[in-house]
Amino acid sequence: MTAVAFVVPDRVRLGLTRFRGAPLLAFWVLIVAILVAPILLFLLVAFSPRLFDQGPEWFTLSGFGEALRGPLLQGLLNSLLVGIATALVATAIGFGVAWAVARTDVPARAVWTGAMFGLLLAPSYLVALGWERLLEPAGVLELLGLDVTAVRALFYGPVGVVVVLAVKGVPFAYLAISSALRGLGEEFESAARVHGGGRVAALRIVVALLAPAVWSAVAIVFAESISDFGVAATLANDAHFPVATFTLYDAVDSFPIRFPVAAAVGWMLMAMAGLALLAQSRALSGRSYRVLGGRSRPARRHRLSPPATAAATTGLAVVVLAGLGVPAFGAVSASLIDGLGSLVGDHRLTLANYARVLASPELRDPLLYSARLALITATVTAVIGLAVARILSARGTRLSSQVLDLLLLTAVALPGIVFAAGYIFTYNLPLINDLGIHLYGTTALLVLGYLATALPSTSRVLLGSVGQVQESLREAGRVHGGGAAGSWLRTVLPVLARPVLAAWVLTFAGTLLELPVSQLLYPPDHPPVAIGITKALANYDFGGGTAMEVTAVVLALAVVAVAFGGFHLLAPTGWRRIGRTHD
Amino acid sequence: MTARPRRSWGALTAVGVAAALAIAGCASPTGRDTAAAAGAAAAGPVPLVVYSAEGYDAPVTKAFTAATGIPVSLVDDSTGPLLTKVAAEKNNPQWGVLWADGDTAFAALDQQGQLLPYIPSAPLNAVGKALVPASHAYTPAATTVMAAVIYNAAKAPGAPTSYQDLLGPAYKGLVGMNDPAQSGPTFPFVAGLMNQLGGQAGGVAAGEDYLRQLKANGLHVYPTNGDTLHALETGQIAYGMIQSSAATGELAKVHASAAFNPKIVYLPESTLLPSVIGIDKGAPPAVQDEAKKFVDFVMSPAGQKVMQTGDPSGDSLYWPVVDGVTALPALPAFPAAYQRIDPYFWGPLEGEINTFFDSTIK
Repeated sequence: MTAVAFVVPDRVRLGLTRFRGAPLLAFWVLIVAILVAPILLFLLVAFSPRLFDQGPEWFTLSGFGEALRGPLLQGLLNSLLVGIATALVATAIGFGVAWAVARTDVPARAVWTGAMFGLLLAPSYLVALGWERLLEPAGVLELLGLDVTAVRALFYGPVGVVVVLAVKGVPFAYLAISSALRGLGEEFESAARVHGGGRVAALRIVVALLAPAVWSAVAIVFAESISDFGVAATLANDAHFPVATFTLYDAVDSFPIRFPVAAAVGWMLMAMAGLALLAQSRALSGRSYRVLGGRSRPARRHRLSPPATAAATTGLAVVVLAGLGVPAFGAVSASLIDGLGSLVGDHRLTLANYARVLASPELRDPLLYSARLALITATVTAVIGLAVARILSARGTRLSSQVLDLLLLTAVALPGIVFAAGYIFTYNLPLINDLGIHLYGTTALLVLGYLATALPSTSRVLLGSVGQVQESLREAGRVHGGGAAGSWLRTVLPVLARPVLAAWVLTFAGTLLELPVSQLLYPPDHPPVAIGITKALANYDFGGGTAMEVTAVVLALAVVAVAFGGFHLLAPTGWRRIGRTHD
Repeated sequence: MTARPRRSWGALTAVGVAAALAIAGCASPTGRDTAAAAGAAAAGPVPLVVYSAEGYDAPVTKAFTAATGIPVSLVDDSTGPLLTKVAAEKNNPQWGVLWADGDTAFAALDQQGQLLPYIPSAPLNAVGKALVPASHAYTPAATTVMAAVIYNAAKAPGAPTSYQDLLGPAYKGLVGMNDPAQSGPTFPFVAGLMNQLGGQAGGVAAGEDYLRQLKANGLHVYPTNGDTLHALETGQIAYGMIQSSAATGELAKVHASAAFNPKIVYLPESTLLPSVIGIDKGAPPAVQDEAKKFVDFVMSPAGQKVMQTGDPSGDSLYWPVVDGVTALPALPAFPAAYQRIDPYFWGPLEGEINTFFDSTIK
């Protein structure tokens, strides 16, 4: 500290303080603009359709009346049950995978880690359709001479929906838990063992210390599952098993369009997510889980016995096969084989669909356009997600972090169509246009919409890691004379580089094939790739549509490979060392 | 210790916010308001915003721009999302032209005062004249019918000759159709059955009774045309009731084999399912003028030609409503027994009928 600081006039210091508060203010303005206002205006329609010309009433509860009876009520109840079952199953599996990969010598660990990202990349509808290709009448298994009638009867219903959503939920649980597990050094286990505790006692301590991550996993998987639309629109719909997101979509996508009813269903979904959040905060309140500091020691791997190795490998393989093998097989075979799943033709292998797709600017242009937008969205989301996670992990009862937490989890629980419609309500308001803001129908609003859909889940994934960073790390940097930004870059960024990269990749992949927001917000003449795929599939160009999908997924995989390859090659050794275990 | 968001995190946030604002700053609005302002400033033609669900819309709009010099901004999507957009934009519409299959939604928009009446100069044939509403709030540009019964002659016991046939034991468990709540073309089909069996005076009861009997005979319900076709191809059903253009397209694409030999039959009565264009009543006069020119172009021989070549195995397989234009060779003669349902009567019943279907038939 220099003497100069003491002669700075109060007025200037006050001004500087205000300036320092400006980023936080800007942050909240952004959150209100991209999340609060669109969600609120959409949900407001449930009470006041007249506000947006969606009905004659200024105040009514009739939307709720409709949402709480008949098929819509059934959809809500189904969503609740599916959400709970999925959250529990996915968190248990995610914990197992994270433990096996981070703390044991199970073979092919890099493959399993890569597979978790692969699962994130696979859109849920692709996973569901892959299963359908296998199990449907005249599908792959029946062509192979297997009688799958009983399996089909079981899978085309709640069981299948939970299986697919759980498989999609596993990587979220894995990310939340494995990040925390990486940051949890060996010292806690060692302490238990030193004090005479057995393996079970050590495991209990580890599980207890990972409670924030486990609860975070349960909450996020629950919210992701009840807001999923991909499975709702494919497997659940084909099985005539209505879930809330589909009934909500149905209310705004089929004539007569009923926004008030959709908004009422939205309220119910938010309430469910709110309950999950309440359970999470009840379970964690008043405790500290800060375990990652300058003295954290890398953990040692447990050596598995041969039977345990076989069991762990088989378990991992089943999860990966269910989530990746099946849809990949379904998509690739459908795009390569002439007339798969049909009585047509002689099932020749052909690349004609790919040739057609790659030769057509109708796919190429949307794919490049979507890739650009995904790149921007992922970068902005990773940066803002980090800030969000930091605010959320602040201990104490700060109102702002509680409000943000509630907002983000409920936002995860709302399907993309809610954001999309909310964006139209907000940014197409004549009042907003009068203010000189003309965002509707632009690429900018589409990106902001993507950001809004990605931010809640991304920041919750980051929360597991950010919550572990002890303040002492950065403070040590400051004590040693580093500036605020400098010490952050030298101490905190290395610790968080890997999770941030993971968050970036997650957002990139999710945005590349995003559908509902794209559908309602894409600027004229610039359709994103998901629109092209949906159109091809709707016109029963099954080969062309799936070839487009596979091409897009391959592009996403290539970007993932470049991102992680680049990190491995270019990041300083210390950055890569954090979270590693002794081999 | 209490941890508060630190300045460094604030700086991080600032970076993110700045990036987000940079994106926003790069906005190049294509909406009508801005376009109108830009058009006024440049005194050139204002871009016409076309919301369309037709497979041939991209080539048609390009040809229109080439012919008239009027730029078009096209939002091409399925009918459902487009109608959602139109509804969400109701207090500040951004579209100039809406083009989709099915006139019931257009009748509803007309009843809400959203459509500008217009009478294009092109002469219409008898079917076209039957489709024009008294208010001239929208223009039929082509028509398909619901339903074409596409069946697998390699497996099916025979071709039905009436809808009553489908209730017989020979068809038990073999018939499939689309869900009217998810398939735009299917509500007019269901309403058409009700119109045929009960009429406007009799209401929905006779049609509902027929659908219940069909359900009792093992009716399968799939989301849309593509899904019903898929069920036909995989042998889950032997008869699928779908839109005529989708059925004709399937015949054009598939080479018959010993296991799959699709054929089409039209049962009395086929319900007309027109491709319909509407103009936004609230659009600025300049946009409305362009929209009228667009409608005229679509109805002209040049426009019809582009429609017939733009989506050869899909929406181009329509029956023309403009006098002097002939259907593509892949199409059979227009079904002799057809009916036009009154969209102003049946349109408002869509919610009620779909709910019945959803809870009783699906």
